[in-house]
Amino acid sequence: MRRFLGMVLFAICVPLSMVLLGRAVYWLVAGAEYLATSLGAPPTYGAAIANVILLMLVFVMTTAALLTIGERKWSAMIQNRIGPNRIRVFGNSAGGIFFLAADALKMLTKENINPSQRSRVLYELAPMAAFAPSFALFAVVPVGPAVDSVVNGVRTTVALQVANIDAGLLFVFGIASLAVYGTALAGWASNSKLAILGGVRASSQMISYEVSLGLALVGSMMAYQSLRLEEMVRAQGQLLWGFLPALGFFLQPVGLLVFFVSAFAETKRTPFDLPEGESEIVGYFVEYPGMKFGMLFLAEFIEVVVLAAITAAIFFGGWHPVLFEGWLRENLSPIWFASVCAGAFLTKVLLLCWLQLIVRWTLPRFRFDQIQKLCWKVLLPVALANVFITGALILVDPSLELLGLVGLVEIAAMAVITAAVSRKVEVPAHAHAAAAAVAGH
Amino acid sequence: MPYQLPDSELNLRERLYFPEVIQGVGIIMKQFLRNFFFGRQKDPDVLARDRSLSQNATIAYPEERVPYPPAYRGLHRLVPREDGRPRCVACYMCATICPAQCIYIEAGEYPDDPIEKYPVKFVIDELRCVVCGFCVEACPKDAIRMDTGEHAPPSYTRAAQVWDEKRLLRGPPVSYQNDPWLRRGSPSISPEKLQEMRARAKPFPLNATDEYAQTPGFSVRALASEAKGK
Repeated sequence: MRRFLGMVLFAICVPLSMVLLGRAVYWLVAGAEYLATSLGAPPTYGAAIANVILLMLVFVMTTAALLTIGERKWSAMIQNRIGPNRIRVFGNSAGGIFFLAADALKMLTKENINPSQRSRVLYELAPMAAFAPSFALFAVVPVGPAVDSVVNGVRTTVALQVANIDAGLLFVFGIASLAVYGTALAGWASNSKLAILGGVRASSQMISYEVSLGLALVGSMMAYQSLRLEEMVRAQGQLLWGFLPALGFFLQPVGLLVFFVSAFAETKRTPFDLPEGESEIVGYFVEYPGMKFGMLFLAEFIEVVVLAAITAAIFFGGWHPVLFEGWLRENLSPIWFASVCAGAFLTKVLLLCWLQLIVRWTLPRFRFDQIQKLCWKVLLPVALANVFITGALILVDPSLELLGLVGLVEIAAMAVITAAVSRKVEVPAHAHAAAAAVAGH
Repeated sequence: MPYQLPDSELNLRERLYFPEVIQGVGIIMKQFLRNFFFGRQKDPDVLARDRSLSQNATIAYPEERVPYPPAYRGLHRLVPREDGRPRCVACYMCATICPAQCIYIEAGEYPDDPIEKYPVKFVIDELRCVVCGFCVEACPKDAIRMDTGEHAPPSYTRAAQVWDEKRLLRGPPVSYQNDPWLRRGSPSISPEKLQEMRARAKPFPLNATDEYAQTPGFSVRALASEAKGK
């Protein structure tokens, strides 16, 4: 019972702490903007630098690092185990968080063994090339809305977004495809047969899924009439029929499904983890020791966080709290409303990270032909059909209501098909007992 | 195979793949949430745990231990008498029956008691022991038991696994009414001690009842209920 109450408290505290984190980030960003302006820097420079440090370095890195522990602890809960709990501080294992320090220490103090026949430059470059692009993706994600802040009488507008660039989604696609270089180079430069097999698998898989990844978002681009993520988030605040927020989840359920699956393939995590496989080829990182391996490993988790963020921004309303939004807007001061928005976004990101980990622990890995079949024969035609259908529906009804209706119908159809009773596997009563009796136990 | 698994073609819904995946994700989520919100029960008797909420069956080993069943064959001990000597009369029955030949006995005689023998050396090589319990069953004097409930502890040397009579002789003392040294008296036991031993002596158990098999005060149920109360 103590655990139940504690966990309920924890579940309540996570969104609240995210709101407070949002408030703190707004405060720091406004302060940095004021400082930079008073030092003579052009406007928005200070805010951008503060956003890079606070959102990309602090939030993404911390979340990704915690996800490495979360993966171990949550998988334990899924499989009825306890998970990491042996490192204790004052008798408390704190959900295994202290293993983070132990892992980092282990990675950093490992012997640095380099294969002698490696291509030196590429070999050293590969972990960075894997790490940096997924990191840079977060630059265009709008974490919180723009809000006016007054510091020392100077009025500035700050938003929790590093760069609100016109290219928006195109930047996402471009940078996401750069991530292939990390794995391909790691495989190539190690000069190992196993590593290059892993690298080749990774690159073929990632290049294939980039197609459906891009096409899945075309529908959203058309619906929200923009490539800027900030404007797409803003457009999701409008109401259909006066009550239903125009979330991408309602307008583009098929797009969401295709995007989520393709994004999953881009992260190279379990149903799509063919580039690594402890039992056959070890993986493209087989020749990497210590922290270089750690960076390749962490890059996966950063991709998880970033893709959760992009999914949240495009399909789950971004920083819109969705529930009680009008009430919050009227009853809170603008800065606190913005903090609530940022907290809502960060909570959505955490929930989607959790969902990705759940999926990762649900499905066994595909065979390679199944991966390519899923991509080229299923996701790609579905994404293409989605593009055409969405375009036609928007053409017929620019107010998006028809699109929303079709989206709801699709969701309902999916729910019905999912809930439809599956074929029962008939297990004879006491099958086990009978088998044991025959075996003579 | 205990199951008759259907080997037919997948139907359309199953070939759609995603409905089944979503169902699977739902199952995993349920499992996660029940283990997230509800803690593991710590009852060392795993089968008695209520698994309707959390299904975690782990026993966090060094802190929590499964109580061994009453007949568990643990490390040997030589049963002492009340005067501190072993009950063993060096009859070699255990050494003879031992299939691993891990018991080595050297018999000796008390100088003042020409009838009774005692083991000058009683050595068990725990590395050779196969823990069959034959020695316990062969002993006519209930002088060797395996009721300590312990494993042979690990050691850095092989020599430390060879247990001599000084390490083996431990546990609560036992006297039976038909013990020869009680019936006819022994010059090596002082009269007062003999009196006390005779007073405490019990009838020899004819079948392996609880008292024969267990150390007094050792109770699985008590351990389990104690752990439940924590």
